[in-house]
Amino acid sequence: MNLRVVGANLVVKIRSFYREKSTMFFMIVFPIILILVFGALFMNQDNMNFDLCVQDFDQTDSSTQLVKTLEIHGKFKIIKIDATISAAQYANDNKLNLILTIPKGYEGTFLQRTALNDPDASVTLTYLYDPSSISVSMKMKILNSVFAGINQKMSGMPPFIRSAETSIHTRKYRFIEFFVPGIIAMSVMTLSIFGTVNVNTELRQKGVIRKLSTTPITRTDWILSNILYQFILAVLSTIAMLLVSYAVFNVSLQINAWLPVFIVLDVFAFVGIGMILTRFAKEAESAAAAANAISFPMMFLSGSFFPLEMMPGFMQTVARILPLYYVNEGLRASMVFNDHIAALRYSAIIAVFAAVVFILGIVATKWEEDK
Amino acid sequence: MTEETEHAIEVEKLTKRYGDLLAVDDISFNVRKGEVFAMLGPNGAGKTTTVEIIDTIRSPTSGKVTLLGMDVTKKKHEIVPRIGVLPQGFSSFDRITVRETLQYYSRLFCCMNTDIDGLIELVDLKDKAKELYKNLSGGLKQRLGIAIALVNNPEVLFLDEPTTGLDPRARREVWKVMLGLKKKGKTVFLTTHYMEEAELLADTVAIISKGKIISMGSPGALIESNANYLVLTLKPVDEKAVEIIRKMGYETIHDNHKDITVRVEHTDDVQKILNAIKDAGATLLSLDVRKPNLEEVFLKLTSAALRRDPAGKVAE
Repeated sequence: MNLRVVGANLVVKIRSFYREKSTMFFMIVFPIILILVFGALFMNQDNMNFDLCVQDFDQTDSSTQLVKTLEIHGKFKIIKIDATISAAQYANDNKLNLILTIPKGYEGTFLQRTALNDPDASVTLTYLYDPSSISVSMKMKILNSVFAGINQKMSGMPPFIRSAETSIHTRKYRFIEFFVPGIIAMSVMTLSIFGTVNVNTELRQKGVIRKLSTTPITRTDWILSNILYQFILAVLSTIAMLLVSYAVFNVSLQINAWLPVFIVLDVFAFVGIGMILTRFAKEAESAAAAANAISFPMMFLSGSFFPLEMMPGFMQTVARILPLYYVNEGLRASMVFNDHIAALRYSAIIAVFAAVVFILGIVATKWEEDK
Repeated sequence: MTEETEHAIEVEKLTKRYGDLLAVDDISFNVRKGEVFAMLGPNGAGKTTTVEIIDTIRSPTSGKVTLLGMDVTKKKHEIVPRIGVLPQGFSSFDRITVRETLQYYSRLFCCMNTDIDGLIELVDLKDKAKELYKNLSGGLKQRLGIAIALVNNPEVLFLDEPTTGLDPRARREVWKVMLGLKKKGKTVFLTTHYMEEAELLADTVAIISKGKIISMGSPGALIESNANYLVLTLKPVDEKAVEIIRKMGYETIHDNHKDITVRVEHTDDVQKILNAIKDAGATLLSLDVRKPNLEEVFLKLTSAALRRDPAGKVAE
């Protein structure tokens, strides 16, 4: 091994990288776009705010008070509909999935119950809804719970069953905080696997490797400089993703020594896979196709984007045999839950995998022409 | 001087097979220090296989190759720093400039004192020093390739088809660079399928066909020993003269109605033809008598080789 040679190679690789704008875009900017898009989507889930259309036929202080209660306790954004128009027609025209109607005489019945203590006095609020809508059941659930609260209060008795909600986590986590470690794991994987496959098959096809085999550079120097280069890219990409996550979403993540550990393991594992693919793919195109065939299912199946619980049981089993799953979970264990024992467990699994694949990759890397 | 120091390259009974394909068939030759040795042959004759075995890219099936006194199959690490190679179809990193590329290769050889500017000047790329490799034309790329092969000031230089695929002007510019190297006394092993190139540059030419060396010697000696004839080219005013020569039964090399090139044994034959034309009352615009060039010798030799073994397999 010769460090001068490794350094010279590294310089050439880094220069080639920053002079190739499209690679730079896909390697650095693309994951950031993913974080921004998914982050924006998830942010809405954290702070759910549904619209609620209300048609008030009563138009009294009591009915106005009820609407205000819904707004405060149900966290609804209230849209008032004119009592003179047909609610069904209006819902159809405006593609609304739910209209709550307060009947005329609401205040009268309300006073009958509260002032005159008539237990038979009750009022029926109507949900005019579109059963095919996905979010409508969520809205109705919220409405029911607000009404249950009002009913219980009006009965004058304290509730018998109370519920206490305690998260299993010591603090409340946001979806984006689960998402960012997954995207880091996924980006480092794609960087490493495609970086290795694309560069090496292209150089082999063009005959640059043949030229290099007539210089003192050894296979070890070449592989080492490739690993270092991929590690530098992975670190740059990770820093960029973290900066955006902090700046835009104000995430709260633990940055500790586990982060570089998992990045190194991620790089070794997927550069190893890349080297194996380079060996067996005859042309650059087939190598890229093979890299796609491996990385794309891995992205979706190993829980980078979606929590594993959302997937059917057999797919969860599949996920547990994918190396990326352990990087995802390891990064989450360290960055989100600060769970060092779990991080250690996941890192051990991915380290064994990376060692095996990387050694196979070294064996597979062709340097001299074998013919 | 002993044998080892006199010869830069010694090839003894070299054979290379790719499965059933016999690419190089039991060839032996030596290359003297300081000479330009050209291996000339058609595509698929075994030139590249031979040069790649000598410059340590490939390994032989059998035979012995000694380069600078060392066995190429055993001493790759000692040999590599002392040779320079321009492989066939040379290519480099697209987004690296000419100067950076030379610096890179110089670092690979750990040469602290490579004269990068001198090399750039030698291959006449001064104006292109800051150009990215991918923006260079084919001829400039080859010239850079030659400069790269020189970064470690090698004792032996291998140039595998340095001008293939270049236009005539670019080819001449590469030749100019190679002539400069020849003047400096470098040992150069050149492969080519251009006779002109071998004739112009080489001290020794080995003609290879179907993996066998069919003739070897200096270009002049090759022509002398294989060309016991003269080439007569006539440009007559009318076609009558052409008809007369055809009827006389001489072997025509080239014949396009306007002019005619024939192979003749002696100067007497020239006289006979001229007399016949004069007797017929025809006149000539121009007349040229010369010895055959290497191209004609090459075509004669390789077509003879093809006739000897029409079913033989060939490989690059």
